[in-house]
Amino acid sequence: MAATKEFGATGAETTVIGPSILISGKLSGDEDLTVRGRVEGELSLTRTLIVEPSGIVKANVSVRNAIVSGVVVGNITASESVELTREGRMVGDIRSPRVIIVDGASFRGRVDMGNAEPRAANERPASQTRPALTRPVVRPAAAPPRPVVAARPAAAKPLPPAARPVVSAAPRVEPKSGGDAKPQPPPPPPQPVLVGEAGKKKVLVKKKK
Amino acid sequence: MANTDAINIIGKGITIRGSLTGAGDLVIEGRVEGQIALKNHLTIEGSGLVEADIRADELTINGTASGNIDASTKVSISQSAKVNGDIKATRVVIEDGAVFNGSIEMDVKLPDDL
Amino acid sequence: MANTIIGSSIIIDGEISGDEDLVIQGTVKGKISLKESLYVEASAVVEADIEVQNVEITGRVTGNIAATDKVELKADCRVVGDVRAPRILIADGASFKGNVDMDVKDR
Repeated sequence: MAATKEFGATGAETTVIGPSILISGKLSGDEDLTVRGRVEGELSLTRTLIVEPSGIVKANVSVRNAIVSGVVVGNITASESVELTREGRMVGDIRSPRVIIVDGASFRGRVDMGNAEPRAANERPASQTRPALTRPVVRPAAAPPRPVVAARPAAAKPLPPAARPVVSAAPRVEPKSGGDAKPQPPPPPPQPVLVGEAGKKKVLVKKKK
Repeated sequence: MANTDAINIIGKGITIRGSLTGAGDLVIEGRVEGQIALKNHLTIEGSGLVEADIRADELTINGTASGNIDASTKVSISQSAKVNGDIKATRVVIEDGAVFNGSIEMDVKLPDDL
Repeated sequence: MANTIIGSSIIIDGEISGDEDLVIQGTVKGKISLKESLYVEASAVVEADIEVQNVEITGRVTGNIAATDKVELKADCRVVGDVRAPRILIADGASFKGNVDMDVKDR
């Protein structure tokens, strides 16, 4: 997998939902997804979801990592981590072994990190007993490093997408001056060994006229 | 407990059961069970263990806490902390590495159409 | 980078709408309506009704296509459905099944 990938970068390797785009329905995939527009419905990825400040996700989300700088309304289940950045706003429940909320973020909902376990990254005594209230949760054996380094060939653990009917609003289109430059066709994305019927083909990189 | 400006410390060997109220800043290194109502800043240090509903202006948790938290300004859960309970505050910070289970209630300003 | 790219491993079942160019390399089922151009690349599988300004297809499309400007079926594309646009280009090597309607009134 691409070791060159920067977190939140504008690299052509990720799928990008542009600021004027609205997708309503089910979206799934095996690559990073950057949302600058709007996604409503259900979203499941085996990799990282990045919701940029202009992005709005009104969906139940199941991903490996989520970085929220925009708006999320819905529940997020992440097998690794969820981060709400300074600009992030979220209403919904988070279920993830690592949850980071930065000062300035706003959040309303439940957080479920599962049982406390010693983390490889931070050596801390894991001797403390946990009070009740804890719900058992399936979690990866060890906490991974920060998703900035998205180069680990980790066994991507596809989570069952949260089944919930889609309640989508009427398509909303913001007026905006279109006519930007033609998109650069991205290089072939990494092909993780994962199930999924389509999208396994090689991408033909071609020049747009 | 003391005057407003004072910093009070509940040391490592101390266990308090009952309700704890006051106006000064408080640092808990020991153990508190019951209820805490504080007008200022409460810090639960790494060695601290609190099983109490907490009301404070500001709360910093480096240790272990379980119970509901109501802070008028900010709750910081540091990377060494383990927290269980529901939090109500204007600002909540959870550092990477912290363990938290419960709900958080902040004021979330959403776009009008959501 | 204001453009939208649906990568090859992405599957969307639903509606896509917007005001900017869209590149599809993955799978889209449902409906696409855009005020700009759509590029269906070779790896793409689209089962959707499409309403756009321009569309350029190298991949597979099943569904009806209506463009306000132009539809271009490139070599190696496979398109099943009706195509309606003032300008329609079908390249040598394109595979196409459906009706063509170039009689668009506002033109």
